Amino acid sequence: MITAERDTVKQDSENKTGIARDGEHGMRVVNLSAWYGPVQAVRDINLSIVPQAITAIIGPSGCGKSTLLRCLNRMHEVIPGGRVGGVVLLDGQNIYGPEVDPVRVRRLVGMVFQKPNPFPMMSVYDNVVAGIKLNRSLPKSELDDIVERSLRQAALWGEVKDKLNVSGASLSGGQQQRLCIARAIAIKPEIILMDEPASALDPLATYRIEELMGDLKERYTIVVVTHNMQQASRVSDYTAFMLAGDDRIGELVEYGDTNEVFTNPRDKRTEGYITGRFG
Amino acid sequence: MDKIASGSRFAGGEDQGDKLFRWLVTGLAVGTIVLLALIIFLVFGDARSALLQFGLSFLTTAIWDPVAERFGALAFIYGTLVTSAVALLIAGPISVGAALFLTEYVPKWLREPLSFLIELLAVIPSIIYGLWGLFILAPLMRDAVEPFLQNTLGQVPVIGALFSGAILGRDMLIAGVILAIMILPTVTAVSREVLRAVPDTQREGMIALGATKWEMIQGAVLPYAKAGIAGASVLGLARALGETMAVTMVIGNSSSAISPSLFTPGYTMASAIANQFTEADSEMYFSALVAVALVLLLVAALVNVAARLLVWRVARGPQGSARL
Amino acid sequence: MRFGFKWSLLAVLLVVVLAACTNTSTTAPTATASSGVSQAPGAQGTASQTSSVTGATSGRPAGAGLINGPYPGEARNLNGAGATFPAVLYTKWFSDYAQLTGVQINYQSIGSGGGIKAISDRTVDFGASDAPLTDEQLKAVKGGQLLHIPTTLGGVAVTYNIPGVSKQLKFTPETLSGIFLGTITKWNDPKLVADNPDAGLPGNNIVVVHRSDGSGTTNIFTDYLSNVSSDWKSKVGVGTSVNWPVGLGEKGNEGVSAGVKQNPNSIGYVEVIYAIQNKLGVGLLKNKAGNFVQPSTETVSEAAAGVAQSIAPDLRASIVNAPGANAYPIAGLTYILIYQQQTDKAKAIALTRMLWWGIHDGQKYTTELGYSPLPQEIVSKVEDKILSVTVNGQQAFPGK
Repeated sequence: MITAERDTVKQDSENKTGIARDGEHGMRVVNLSAWYGPVQAVRDINLSIVPQAITAIIGPSGCGKSTLLRCLNRMHEVIPGGRVGGVVLLDGQNIYGPEVDPVRVRRLVGMVFQKPNPFPMMSVYDNVVAGIKLNRSLPKSELDDIVERSLRQAALWGEVKDKLNVSGASLSGGQQQRLCIARAIAIKPEIILMDEPASALDPLATYRIEELMGDLKERYTIVVVTHNMQQASRVSDYTAFMLAGDDRIGELVEYGDTNEVFTNPRDKRTEGYITGRFG
Repeated sequence: MDKIASGSRFAGGEDQGDKLFRWLVTGLAVGTIVLLALIIFLVFGDARSALLQFGLSFLTTAIWDPVAERFGALAFIYGTLVTSAVALLIAGPISVGAALFLTEYVPKWLREPLSFLIELLAVIPSIIYGLWGLFILAPLMRDAVEPFLQNTLGQVPVIGALFSGAILGRDMLIAGVILAIMILPTVTAVSREVLRAVPDTQREGMIALGATKWEMIQGAVLPYAKAGIAGASVLGLARALGETMAVTMVIGNSSSAISPSLFTPGYTMASAIANQFTEADSEMYFSALVAVALVLLLVAALVNVAARLLVWRVARGPQGSARL
Repeated sequence: MRFGFKWSLLAVLLVVVLAACTNTSTTAPTATASSGVSQAPGAQGTASQTSSVTGATSGRPAGAGLINGPYPGEARNLNGAGATFPAVLYTKWFSDYAQLTGVQINYQSIGSGGGIKAISDRTVDFGASDAPLTDEQLKAVKGGQLLHIPTTLGGVAVTYNIPGVSKQLKFTPETLSGIFLGTITKWNDPKLVADNPDAGLPGNNIVVVHRSDGSGTTNIFTDYLSNVSSDWKSKVGVGTSVNWPVGLGEKGNEGVSAGVKQNPNSIGYVEVIYAIQNKLGVGLLKNKAGNFVQPSTETVSEAAAGVAQSIAPDLRASIVNAPGANAYPIAGLTYILIYQQQTDKAKAIALTRMLWWGIHDGQKYTTELGYSPLPQEIVSKVEDKILSVTVNGQQAFPGK
């Protein structure tokens, strides 16, 4: 039963691979599995991330959606015991290839976390350029430009332009999260991963983040994990629904255009989750 | 209904046990403060006659002559500060390195046993360190390390003065090294706790920006833990200032000269007190030793305050990070 | 949290271990006491021999063997504190004495300074000091006239470590004071070579090692140097701690000994007992009679005998640089300090009986423990002191 379902998903995703063309920074996940030590967390995930669009990954707690996300920039293996099998293609190149340096992958695939995590010992300014300074030293004027541009793109410039020297930790929660987004986009990634970026924020701050995501997809490919279905339906173009089976290993149940997944789900479990019958 | 109105169902004061416990802990807290005040009062009382006799010159002269009853503690103060500084300079970086190794590099299963071993070093009685210092470290320093330093760094202008003079196998550098080894476990253990308290979100935040492990440590872990590590060093420094036994055995206990060279025998305040207290048979001699104790108390307090100011400034970081 | 717990656990462990150590050290004297049982019959044997003599003498009680059991009305406990140098002898004395008379004597070897302070403040029944009290210190005592009771003798040996030199070195007052003053800095100084022409003394710098802790040993040593060198007397002086012109300070005899062993071309001073027991190389010292004398229990005793005729009435005596062909020049008496006018009759009886036993019967332990016995000339003077102790205006010593 499950196998049959999976096959349909596989076919479904393969149908969409044509969208990820070179130069548009799409991603393709093939037969991806991940483990925490001996415990498997997700199994045989196949999907394609559409460039310059927002892909939402939804599903109940423990379904492995955050794990999947962290596999996309090799953050999963940072956790002791974290292990990944399968292939993730970024612009056609496997980021789990033997010659690949995970540090370089992360410079291309940025990440924003659930809890805002600005560096408290750095100023707002230094937070934004933290990633840049890892790679190269630029003249002050260039850094100034990057800070302004990143903060503008993160819709934070107006609020902090006069206090660039205060600690990143002194901003409000919503501002901190936008600072983290500015920090992520300052290094000009190709893809931005967001792990429940608004779950720790109040409704107004959440709204601003969602608005910001809409702006950002003009330039970036975004993958967002959320357990808020309204948010997924509001902001995303594509939705992946994940579910852990009886063996507690997460699998991809359905993946497709957000409107279709929400209005006309192909799988009964998707329908059940969306209509609130479980999860 | 009227039962509720009268409140009898909920009546009753504070639980008796609670009350007793509250008084008990209050008493203990007050007792500690009273004890401290008493110590200061008594020390001050006994030190009075020496302080009146010698005044400020007690701090500025280095003559310690029990026979003529002329006392100045400068040599002891100098020895205490120099050995403690040497200890901190050596132990600080090593401790932070060890703590980083334990938190960031060692596989999980090895972490606890290794930490335990390091903490075990802290409970070795100082006399053991002293004997080890006397019979193993001192000869090693005299025959190998110090001649090497003298032939290399000793030739450099200015800092060469630190490594000049005859090598006797009893000097402030050896005392500093012993102290460094003694404070190492404390500083390491506390630093490790501080580093462990750095949230993983900080580490991941830096790694997600494309940082290597070392860049992550440098950019996210160490800045976050800075204040705590400074605090750990203060704890180590406090131990170094007051350490007596092991230092006494290797420092040479000589107050005859204050020299910039780390190779000269020195004397610390704690050693002077421990060495001479039992045979201090004249009133003024006794009082002078107690005055040394008072100075040690004040120096320790001053170092603590200075360190705390430092910690406070460091902890504040960029303006307005009070939320941390 | 777990961190704190672990620490406290370790702390508890440490306390337990320390407690165990303290236990063993407190039980140690008991072990000595039980071993002393075998000696008790011997002591009683001597007692019966000499008791007949007691009756024959006129006035003055007999010496050894007079005290041979408990005395009615004497105190069962005495407390004393002071010098560490005679502590081994006193421990032996007091455990044997408890076997003999049942009087328990608790002695704390806290140092001469502490002993003087304790007896001055009358917190103990007797004090002990390696150095006689100064006039100033005597004025400060609170219980009236304080008596000095010499109990045994100690000497100070000069030990050295010069690689390549195997011949026993000879020192004169001039060379020794020169070395410790820092005026003689090399081993091949002409003055040293003159006394030791065949020793092959090298041209290396002399490393001086002295005691860092206040000690009776230092007191005797500096007493000697002051006696033989006016320079030393004016620049440094006598004391349990002094302002050393040169050298390294080490804690205790063992510290000085380690310092000398570890440092080539060094010289230091330790108690004669310590040098003998640890087989240290020691120097011969030129005494007042002009002979080079080896430090030993006999030559140290000789020093006391040499000054017996000229000793001050209150027995506050320096016996350094004593006359006598075989007198070792660096020696000193160690004292028990008691008040002449006692207030507690029971304690006064116990105290004088214990001292009488110590200066007679107790002397036989001195040599085996490395101390030097009091010469007979001194003992009779000490007897006078003990007999002069009064309680309520009457002689405290009961005569047996």
